[in-house]
Amino acid sequence: MIPVSHYLAVGAVLFTLGLIGFLSRRNLIVMFLSAELMLQGVAVNFVAFSRYHGNLHGQVFTLFVIAVAACEAGVALALFLMLYRRKRSLDVSLWQALRETDVPETVDTEPLPPVSPEEPLPKLPPAGVEPERDEERQYV
Amino acid sequence: MFDPAHLVLYVPALPLFGAVLAAICGMVTELRRFAHLPVLVCAGLSCVCAIGVAAHLANNPSPVSYPQLSSSADSIHWFSIQYEKSNMVVEFALAADQLAGVMLLGVTFIGFWIVLFSVGYMHGSYGYSRYFATVSLFLASMCLIILADNFLLMFAGWEGVGLCSYLLVGYWHHKNSAADAARKAFLVTRLGDVGLILGIFLLWWMAELGGFGYERIFGAAPALAERYPTMFAAACLLIVCGAVGKSAQFPLYVWLPDAMEGPTPVSALIHAATMVTAGVYLLARCTVLFVQVPGVQLTVAMIGAFTALLAAFIALTQHDLKRVLAYSTVSQIGYMFLAVGCARPSLAAIAVTAAIFHLFTHAFFKAVLFLSSGSVMHAMHDVIDMREFGGLRKVLPITHWAFLAGALALAGIPLFSGFWSKDMILESTLEAGHGGRFGTVYIILFVVALITALMTAFYTFRAYFRTFWGELRMPEGAHPHEPAVMTVPLIVLGIGAVTVGIVAEPFTHWFSGFITQSPVIVTASGGHTADEHLNWPLILGSSAVAIVGFAIAWYVYLKKPGTAEKFAQKAPTLYYLSLNKLYVDEIYNLLFVQPATLVAGICGLVEAVVDDLVRLVATIPRFLGVLIRPIQNGLVQFYALAMVLGVAGFVAWLVLMAK
Repeated sequence: MIPVSHYLAVGAVLFTLGLIGFLSRRNLIVMFLSAELMLQGVAVNFVAFSRYHGNLHGQVFTLFVIAVAACEAGVALALFLMLYRRKRSLDVSLWQALRETDVPETVDTEPLPPVSPEEPLPKLPPAGVEPERDEERQYV
Repeated sequence: MFDPAHLVLYVPALPLFGAVLAAICGMVTELRRFAHLPVLVCAGLSCVCAIGVAAHLANNPSPVSYPQLSSSADSIHWFSIQYEKSNMVVEFALAADQLAGVMLLGVTFIGFWIVLFSVGYMHGSYGYSRYFATVSLFLASMCLIILADNFLLMFAGWEGVGLCSYLLVGYWHHKNSAADAARKAFLVTRLGDVGLILGIFLLWWMAELGGFGYERIFGAAPALAERYPTMFAAACLLIVCGAVGKSAQFPLYVWLPDAMEGPTPVSALIHAATMVTAGVYLLARCTVLFVQVPGVQLTVAMIGAFTALLAAFIALTQHDLKRVLAYSTVSQIGYMFLAVGCARPSLAAIAVTAAIFHLFTHAFFKAVLFLSSGSVMHAMHDVIDMREFGGLRKVLPITHWAFLAGALALAGIPLFSGFWSKDMILESTLEAGHGGRFGTVYIILFVVALITALMTAFYTFRAYFRTFWGELRMPEGAHPHEPAVMTVPLIVLGIGAVTVGIVAEPFTHWFSGFITQSPVIVTASGGHTADEHLNWPLILGSSAVAIVGFAIAWYVYLKKPGTAEKFAQKAPTLYYLSLNKLYVDEIYNLLFVQPATLVAGICGLVEAVVDDLVRLVATIPRFLGVLIRPIQNGLVQFYALAMVLGVAGFVAWLVLMAK
């Protein structure tokens, strides 16, 4: 049987990786994923102790964690979408509006590479309507 | 609906309603230029109601009251005062006796014509509806003063007219001088009002907190005067103080000449005919109290005579036509105070009648004088300095005749109304000089009044000759015209000024017969009746005085123009004293305004010190804030790092320190 310390080590590694990712990355989505990683590290811990103690407390907790994480993902991604629409970028350092008024803005010395202009999405005709055709050209 | 008790209510209620309507008109742009209509109609109806009340009183001498007190349940609760377990209810009660009836007639009748005049005078003026709403509110408050049946309700009206006076003096509030004049009028009269309310409370206290009703306090007056002689005299003096403030008598008269900054119809209505005479009315209403304290009465008479003389002296040299009239108002109200001050039980009937009669005739002739000066001002493009124009009788014929009618009455030229009422005042002063504790003093006051009459005749005709005679001179931009809406009130009030005196009193005795039935006078005189006779030597003497004054003015300003300048050069001290209004404004400035400014400066200094101390304390947290504020930089990852470090630190502490 695998001792509980192994599980704890895996949980700790997951948590640490998530923490490092959260602190070091600036892309909002990546940061969000790192946060999820930390949550999963904690969840592993719960499950491990649940098994170790032989009861279901930890597993119930984990189910809650996963449910909350799912909601969080929904809200956070919606927020990111709005933020992205405002500034056309996912760089978290662009959002400093909540600082004290007389603290100077932190200027990024190595900004993210500019986002390539959006590829125009292919436009499909509405379903059930005959697309317009240049009939002259087609039949000449 | 139309029984007298209801009419008594309608008299103040209608103008109040008119004020509300006018104010509503002011809110709608399309209706603004019709704002005068509700006021005019309500003032007219109010006048009709007042005539109804007076007619009823002529037939039934007993006072009419609203609500009619058949049982105490009918009374209208206004507010109540809790004082040491006793609950004192102040009621809304109106009552009209003969004294009130006469005042109501004067106020509403003259008020109506002045509102009509204003329609022409204020035409196209900025704040048209504001003007009419305030005038109407004024009429309502004035009627409330007259009709109130208890001291507090009277005081409410008293403050109401003060407010309207303030609003109307400062009507052109964008003009600094008007705003200052309004403030001055408000503050100076407030000084008197403080005295009045203290006096009222003192009376209330002496009457064992039983209520503010006139009947109760007047009924207790003899007993109170005996029980608390000093306190009673003090209460009376305080009431005089209120009257002095409102009626612009000696120490507090300085606001009235400045109040001429308001529109001229306002000067006519408020600062000549009605509001300023409220003090006289109050004293007449309280005659029952005042006959108990001859010393206070003497003070009133002395204040009156002194003010009359002083104001007449100042009026001699003023160049501003309206100011001459303003000082003459102060002077004439001085006469009324003199008359009221002569009242003692044996003389109450004649003295109060004289004062109110003079008040009544004065309201007519002073209104017409002011309105004609307003007409002059309207025609002369808002110039009112007599040096700027002259000889206007050709271009403003109706104004000229109206002014002449007013001037003849004011100067006391025989047969015109002012003559009869002034004569009555002189007579009552002379009567007061016979016997009594202060007989000699009253004789001196009589002489002062005669001298004042001479000066009055002189300055009135000085103004008249300088404005309407001589060569035609006009300021630039003047286009003389007299719209009908302005001339009709002039004609009506002019006829009133000429005739009201001779019709009402000297031969018919209608006025005195009517007013002496008033319960106030009946109680005050305690059974003495006025012996109605014409004192021919006095009539001849005062006629002579008036005619001499007229003749001097005629000689100085018409026959030999330039005589006045020569005289002024010969007696420069007198001339400059009069021209600069005896430097009273400057003295007040030095005595009251400067010390107040000084105190304000000191207070400012103290405030600055205290404020700086507080600011010093406030800098400490501010400094700390400056130190740690940079950590709030708005970067998400910085916050996250701080959190992680915090947790790490906490865990480290747990690991290392925990045993």
